[in-house]
Amino acid sequence: MAYQVSVFLENKIGHFERVTGILKDVGVNIRAITLSHTTQGWGILNLLVNNPEKAKEALTEKGVSATLREIAVFAMGDIPGGLDELLKKIAAAGINFTNAYGRNIEIGVMAYLAVDVEDIEGAEEKIKAAGLQLVPDDEVYGLKDS
Amino acid sequence: MNYWEKEIETLPRGEINKVQVEKLNHIIGVAMQSEYYGNLYKSKGIKPGDIKNIEDVTKLPFTTKQNLRDNFPWGFLACNKKEVVRLHSSSGTTGNPTVIFHTAADLDNWANLVARSLFTAGVRDTDVFQNVSGYGLFTGGLGFQYGIEKLGALSIPAGAGNSIRQIKLMQDYGTTAIHAIPSYLARLYDVFLEEGLDPRRDTKLHTFVIGAEPHSEEHRRRIEEMFGVKAYNSFGLSEMNGPGVAFECTYQDGLHIWEDAYIVEIVDPVTLEPVPDGEVGELVMTSLNRQAMPLIRYRTRDLTRFLPGDCPCGRTHRRLDRISGRSDDMFIVKGCNIFPMQIEGVLMKIPEVGNDYLITLDTVGDNDELIVEVEVKREWFSGDLYKLDKLTKDIIRKIRDEVLVKPFVKLVEPGSLPQSEGKAVRVIDKRVKI
Repeated sequence: MAYQVSVFLENKIGHFERVTGILKDVGVNIRAITLSHTTQGWGILNLLVNNPEKAKEALTEKGVSATLREIAVFAMGDIPGGLDELLKKIAAAGINFTNAYGRNIEIGVMAYLAVDVEDIEGAEEKIKAAGLQLVPDDEVYGLKDS
Repeated sequence: MNYWEKEIETLPRGEINKVQVEKLNHIIGVAMQSEYYGNLYKSKGIKPGDIKNIEDVTKLPFTTKQNLRDNFPWGFLACNKKEVVRLHSSSGTTGNPTVIFHTAADLDNWANLVARSLFTAGVRDTDVFQNVSGYGLFTGGLGFQYGIEKLGALSIPAGAGNSIRQIKLMQDYGTTAIHAIPSYLARLYDVFLEEGLDPRRDTKLHTFVIGAEPHSEEHRRRIEEMFGVKAYNSFGLSEMNGPGVAFECTYQDGLHIWEDAYIVEIVDPVTLEPVPDGEVGELVMTSLNRQAMPLIRYRTRDLTRFLPGDCPCGRTHRRLDRISGRSDDMFIVKGCNIFPMQIEGVLMKIPEVGNDYLITLDTVGDNDELIVEVEVKREWFSGDLYKLDKLTKDIIRKIRDEVLVKPFVKLVEPGSLPQSEGKAVRVIDKRVKI
């Protein structure tokens, strides 16, 4: 399964930009993001990038709280009902998740859904048992044409 | 050899009191050479020889910081200006500075007390001692400098700041002991990590002397863990020379206060009556040796208590508990009296919490709010919102249990709190004054 980079961010001007600046300097490409915030003045930034290890290392070196989190990435049709069909399968497999975000791959043909699941290890077996297909890591990172 | 001055350090209680009475009678005479004590004591009919036993000290009036300021700069000078060889002074940001004068003999006595203190904490003449402390008017620089030299250790007068250079000095000369303020050491540790160094592996450090800002036992333990050293608590104040007033021995259970050099009382800061033994109150001190500027019954504003019982190290000089705050550090929120050290104690016991924190008091609507900003340790962050949320609630509950006020807790990125060069700023009061 693939990894996203999770970053602890205070909700202050310039903090997000500091992260993207560091990634730019080391030539890391961002493929998808979500930013969640709490009412307490901070939030978590999730990044899907082409090289998670390199991104985490660069951020940590600059003193940013960053970590790698394993995620499940599924493919779906880029058509009406595509997401619905995928979610029904995920639900039927008994997998709960806390965060999810999408990325278009080819207009009218295919998109990805990245899912931050509870109990990532147990989820892997459930995915297999339900016959769901995970997108291979190199395709998630965009290292290989899908 | 376990003692710097065995006879003095192990003097029986009765003998200590006898020495104190003799010295106090003498120092009253010296003090009366100053304009301030001369006028005051003459008007009250106080004279040398009035002190028959140690309890008689309570008959003398207190001296306060305000008295020092009001009589700035020469009012407390008790000798000819020609005899004075050095002064140390506070910054004076809140009024006239507090200035203390020393004769050559005063400096020698002071250096000896610092040497005795360092020896008590296990520092020897074979050590390489790096003094990470501002030199100049602040007593932590020259005070330790002369003490280290008196002890015979190799001194490195590194001064404060410039962490990269500090680390280089440690590596070049094999530094074994350091004096610094505790908040700086936590910062220095981060620099070690940033440089890819591990202080446990890459230095020869075994002893830290920490002081000059209040810190909790938990904070000390953290510093010891980080560096793999023993950290000893040092207490001093410029009005009583500076460092070398009270020091921990290798048992690390309270600070021996040198009673051959000071008379030590603990009083209720409101009634000014002595508190029962073992209870917390304000430390009141009398300097017994200083010739240029004796201070008698000086109210330090530092809150502490005597620890009961004898110390296994054999020293008979009583032990003070670590300073729990200053009587003027206390703040009141929603009717509760709170000391910053109570909050630090709670935070430092929570493993996920980093070393820096900031307490802000602010007015929100009609209410006073207690806002605590807390660093989360980088290595603990897992990207899990629920864990961070649970941590926040945990901190809120633990602080409320300790200080009885529910705080607003805000997690912040490590290193994002304002950092000061000198003593760490821990409390900011932004409340609207009515």
